[in-house]
Amino acid sequence: MSYFTEKKIFEEADNWIQNNKKVSLATVIQTWGSSPLGVGSRMIVDEDGNFLGSVSGGCVEAKVVEECISLIKNKKDYKKIDFKVSNENAWEIGLACGGDISIYIEEIK
Amino acid sequence: MKIEIIRETLKNKSLKKEFALITNLINSDSEIFVPGINLTGMFSKYFDEIEKIFNSNKNGIIENTEIFVQTFKNPIKVIIVGAVDISTYLIDFAKNLNFEIIVVDPRKSFASKERFPHIKIINKWPDEAFNQIETNSKTALVTLTHDPKIDDPALQYAIKNKFFYIGALGSKKTHEKRCLRLIEAGFKHMEVEAINGPIGIRLGGKSPSEIALSIISQLVSEKYKNKI
Repeated sequence: MSYFTEKKIFEEADNWIQNNKKVSLATVIQTWGSSPLGVGSRMIVDEDGNFLGSVSGGCVEAKVVEECISLIKNKKDYKKIDFKVSNENAWEIGLACGGDISIYIEEIK
Repeated sequence: MKIEIIRETLKNKSLKKEFALITNLINSDSEIFVPGINLTGMFSKYFDEIEKIFNSNKNGIIENTEIFVQTFKNPIKVIIVGAVDISTYLIDFAKNLNFEIIVVDPRKSFASKERFPHIKIINKWPDEAFNQIETNSKTALVTLTHDPKIDDPALQYAIKNKFFYIGALGSKKTHEKRCLRLIEAGFKHMEVEAINGPIGIRLGGKSPSEIALSIISQLVSEKYKNKI
């Protein structure tokens, strides 16, 4: 089910594209255990790292923004990123809630 | 994902269509699914599974595939009877909560465009107003005038049409009297008891904005309880 915010994010994605920005879209595609935001939550990121929307409660956004920027730089079409609390990086980017999430990032073309 | 798909999504939203956005995670191809209309290419193989996710109002990956489905359904319609101060705060809260608001009040000075910009207002008595609104079991009613002449016909309509949420402003005493009137009008006890009155969850607040917060909280809670 989509939420009101998805419409706002898509409208802004369209604006950014019309302003000749390179934009990537991040989507929560799977969650396990307790995760802050549901499947289908979305975020857009431009090549400068400006972002709108959310894919977690703020836990992994910084990492997702970084990944989105490098996706555009490296001219890749998409990438799947898994965040697990058991990651070695858990303290840096981990999910305090103890859940796992999969995020799909893709460039909007 | 192509920008055209994003634009098509926005167009469908503004036309109040219900649909799903499907993405093949293997190559980031996307397509819009509209119930009853065939899909193209490799997505057509998964029509039944996509429809199933869509019908259950969910988002997710189809099992054993790399196909992601996001469902877009229309917001829940909330009819507010009474263009009072609380209504303005309710509208503010509802903006970010995926509710579509319609305000009904026969009193023109209350339900004015100046007081309620960007909101659908019907300046008619509820009986007449409801003829202009498409309603179903996913519709909610909030009555705020506590004037039986205006509130009661709206409540009767909502009970008859099985709205998933009915809430009426007024003290315990006012609500008891209201229930008695509805029973006298021939409604069953069970039907009358389903009205949330006094309206809202118990926050303890007294100001119009606090009352609006308690009403909107109850609406969100009932939405999930009823899996809407």
